[in-house]
Amino acid sequence: MSTLALLLTQTVNALSQSALLFFLGVGLTLIFGLMRIVNFAHGALYMLGAFVGYSLTHWTGNYWLALAGAPVVVGLFGAAFELAILRRLYRRDAHAFLMVTFGLALVVGEAVRLTWGPDALQVPAPAALAGVVFMLDEPFPVYRLFLVATGVVVAIAIWQFLERARLGLLIRATSQNADMANALGVDVKLIRSCVFGIGCGLAALGGVLAAPLVTASNGMAGTVIIDAFVIVIIGGMGSFLGSLIGALLIGFVQVFGNYYAPDFSLAFMYLVMLAVLVMRPGGLLGKEA
Amino acid sequence: MSGQFRPSRRAMLKVGLAGVATVASPAILRLTAEAQSGPIKIGMPVALTGPLGTVGQQTKRGAEFWAKLQNAKGGILGRPIELLIEDTAGNPANCVRKAQEMVERRDCRLITGITLSSEALAVVPKLGEWDSIFISGINGDGRLTADSFVPNFFRANISGPMGTRAVSLYLRKSNMTKFYGLGLDYAWGHNSIGVFEDEVKRGNKEFIGKIFAPTGTKDYSPYITKIRQSGADAVFLVMQGDDNNAFLSQAQQYRLPEKVKLLTEIVDLASIRAVGDASLGLIGSSRYSFTYDQPLNNEFVAAWRKEYGNPPDTFEGEQWQCMKVLEAGITKAGGIEAAKLRPALEDLEVESVKGKVFMRKCDHQGVQQGFMVEVKKKAGFDTPVPEVIATFPGEQTTPPCNAMTYKD
Repeated sequence: MSTLALLLTQTVNALSQSALLFFLGVGLTLIFGLMRIVNFAHGALYMLGAFVGYSLTHWTGNYWLALAGAPVVVGLFGAAFELAILRRLYRRDAHAFLMVTFGLALVVGEAVRLTWGPDALQVPAPAALAGVVFMLDEPFPVYRLFLVATGVVVAIAIWQFLERARLGLLIRATSQNADMANALGVDVKLIRSCVFGIGCGLAALGGVLAAPLVTASNGMAGTVIIDAFVIVIIGGMGSFLGSLIGALLIGFVQVFGNYYAPDFSLAFMYLVMLAVLVMRPGGLLGKEA
Repeated sequence: MSGQFRPSRRAMLKVGLAGVATVASPAILRLTAEAQSGPIKIGMPVALTGPLGTVGQQTKRGAEFWAKLQNAKGGILGRPIELLIEDTAGNPANCVRKAQEMVERRDCRLITGITLSSEALAVVPKLGEWDSIFISGINGDGRLTADSFVPNFFRANISGPMGTRAVSLYLRKSNMTKFYGLGLDYAWGHNSIGVFEDEVKRGNKEFIGKIFAPTGTKDYSPYITKIRQSGADAVFLVMQGDDNNAFLSQAQQYRLPEKVKLLTEIVDLASIRAVGDASLGLIGSSRYSFTYDQPLNNEFVAAWRKEYGNPPDTFEGEQWQCMKVLEAGITKAGGIEAAKLRPALEDLEVESVKGKVFMRKCDHQGVQQGFMVEVKKKAGFDTPVPEVIATFPGEQTTPPCNAMTYKD
């Protein structure tokens, strides 16, 4: 394999991993930005997305329906959870949210185990994406290219949604000053439910997209939640662009770190986070910076 | 009054002690009696969650099925079996804490089902202090019966070096000459890759390189690239659980098996189900498979199918064998106290689902035959199944006493 082919394939690999990390990070940061809630259940909802995707693929025989359906199902679940539980806690301090979302993570984890069983389940990539393309004579999975494309499309869609759509405007307004938005007639409660649902749906999108790479398993939640927090801390809590930059940074650090210095690959991610926090304590694009 | 009886301080002390002894004796007698006749408590600090949660769930089911059948027969020595199962999430510190609680608070003196070798290695130094026996059902790290061996530890399962040895014996006859190693970055992975490297070199073949992945790795593309670049004929995998599933899925997506043969230390049925056709062609040693044609195995598989509706998995069979060895040991010892059970387990021979298992005295390793299997499609099964392609006698696959490497 030539150096150019190596760099090219690893760069596309890093972009595909960044896409998956972005779906997690952006949901987490949207929720924090608007509601000041650190959602500890984000990893569990990512896992739930993979399992719902598995069932939808099995029932319908169509991965595309699962890809569209799992985020909607988990998003509605998230919105319902906000409506039923979180809404009662807004007058309390941050510890209440920490406990409740941590509890949700445990409940979702156990519910997934009881519903789908303890074993990992196969979610194959659709036939159209199961092949390889040759990049400088090296085989590369089409599915990973699809992940990169999906990442780009979703990032642009969220950006445009936040910048141009009326709901996006209301979300930004509520995020900046919820009391003022409320005084101006914005239904802040509804906005919060929507954002929590959208964040959970994005986590589920990450889960269902990751399933063909890692299978749907009970261990999924624990392995991603740390990455998601690192991305949000690097990017700056509440910053959409920050989560995108954080995901790209961690995706590249993980892929190239694992290739060139696998013994230190875990340390690299935390070193990057430390370096960012030393230089900008609020994260790259954080409000407190 | 000079003639009045005044008890001395010494006499008072004696009476007091006698009183305390009288009051306390029923409790002491009850505790002693319970230890000798109450339920037989077996502690299982298991990784039920985390990347190896699927493995821990299997050991749990294997032990639970055994306990259910055994209790239906009246337990052992007329005493019911009680399993104490706790989740460690695969963390060695958690595992030691949970095991300690079982011993000190719940008066449990038997431990089994620990999932990771790193957890087992953390627990064994405490066994003497706890006066407890730990019998491993799945722990692979060779050090447990070598450098880190303690008298209260027994291993009923095939160890990592034994599995690796079966693979290397098989490879001696193959025309593959260049090998690479990929292991999980903890005790078992390093141990088995080390043994494989040694075996390859002694077989006058080339060991090109090795790499270790942390448990919970999601993206194996950098590792797959390294393996592809190495020019190896085959890669030896020491992986299990979610990592194994992720690697096999992604290796197939990169068409790695078309260029490099995949060998593995453990062919795990749960992984085969999880990755489907991505496991086809995988060759490796097998710790247990429902496809072994042994009379006791056929009986076990039929009973398991009746209970759960599907055949038993790798670690379910391994843990089952471990429980049968423990059962035979307790029956022979006539109790569960470490001082009685230890000599009873030593040099014990049990007929098992894999054939004979001989718990040799020198390092408490269960000597048993080694199996090599290849994952193939088979009529009547939805997913590929492992088929036995070679067996090796236990004397050939088990290392010398207290060692991890082989002489021939």
